[in-house]
Amino acid sequence: MMPGTCPREKEVKQLLERGQWPQACASELRGHVGGCRSCGDLVLVTTAFRRARAEASAGVNLPPPGVLWWRAQLRRRNAAVERIGRPILGAQIFALCVMLLVAAGFVGLELRNGIGLLDRLGALPQTAARTLFDHWHSALLDTTWSPMVLIPAAATVALLGGVVVYLAVEKQ
Amino acid sequence: MFWESSIPNAIAGGESRAAVEPMDNDEFAGFYERSARPLWAYLARTSGDPALADDLMQESFVRFLCAPRSPSQASEGEVACRRYLFRIATNLLRDHWRRPRAFSIEETPENFFARPGDSALSDSQMMLGPAMAQMRPRDRQLLWLAHAEGYSHSEIAEVTGLGSASIRLLLFRARRKMARLLGNQERGRTL
Repeated sequence: MMPGTCPREKEVKQLLERGQWPQACASELRGHVGGCRSCGDLVLVTTAFRRARAEASAGVNLPPPGVLWWRAQLRRRNAAVERIGRPILGAQIFALCVMLLVAAGFVGLELRNGIGLLDRLGALPQTAARTLFDHWHSALLDTTWSPMVLIPAAATVALLGGVVVYLAVEKQ
Repeated sequence: MFWESSIPNAIAGGESRAAVEPMDNDEFAGFYERSARPLWAYLARTSGDPALADDLMQESFVRFLCAPRSPSQASEGEVACRRYLFRIATNLLRDHWRRPRAFSIEETPENFFARPGDSALSDSQMMLGPAMAQMRPRDRQLLWLAHAEGYSHSEIAEVTGLGSASIRLLLFRARRKMARLLGNQERGRTL
């Protein structure tokens, strides 16, 4: 037992919960509460809190429940949208990373082979569309360029495949 | 878009809806009528701020409806639902108290600085308010749950997340302090 607690506290608590204190209790118990600090504290605190609860509950203006119901539905819908959008965002980040990787690889390759790209870019205004087409055409036919084309293509196919599978599963 | 049109089905579809929502609209209306006032009283008297209590009460109900693990009224009963609701409110209050207090003066409501006259305060507010202000927030919560709501120690443990054994001691100390403060006030008023 807690130091300072009284064995009759439970009895007093039950009377307070039933609303029978002090009218419907024996005078002997009333006398005990008057002399017992633990029971006296219990009565004083519980009475004050019960009264405060009744007064506070009576004076409040509540919003209609429909408003809260609607707000909850809206929040759940937004959460569902977010949940569904999260893998798509992940796929977009993945695609961006692949593209950055390819770009870095391309720049690295160009730097290793000298400044061929800069030369080609310098020649671009003079030769216009024909030169650009030639570069593109030769790049596609060039065997050293094939991984540069194949890697992003494979990554794109894999990415789109993942998205299609995900959406199909979600639909089911 | 495709996924947006599939969302209503995902939310409102038969079995998944029953698994997610703790109650339907009509059940909620009844539950709200019976639980909102005690919850507001709890929030208002433990925080000492009726405007905050308005906000937190609404947020508690919305979170209750959105929470994936909310107890169902049909299977677990209204008592469990109400206890869960008080748990949400208690956590919201705790988060509010933990938050750093940085608000601009423009955002402060006009009546914040106006001290209400004694006539505007009820007897219980005049008696309990100053005593509550001198208690620690956690003690206010424990006292309210135990003495206003009549929760047992294990129920308070569930609501507050504290250990059942420590609640016994904390509540004993808080009650003793509150009784002393209330007693002092009563003596002050009679003099």
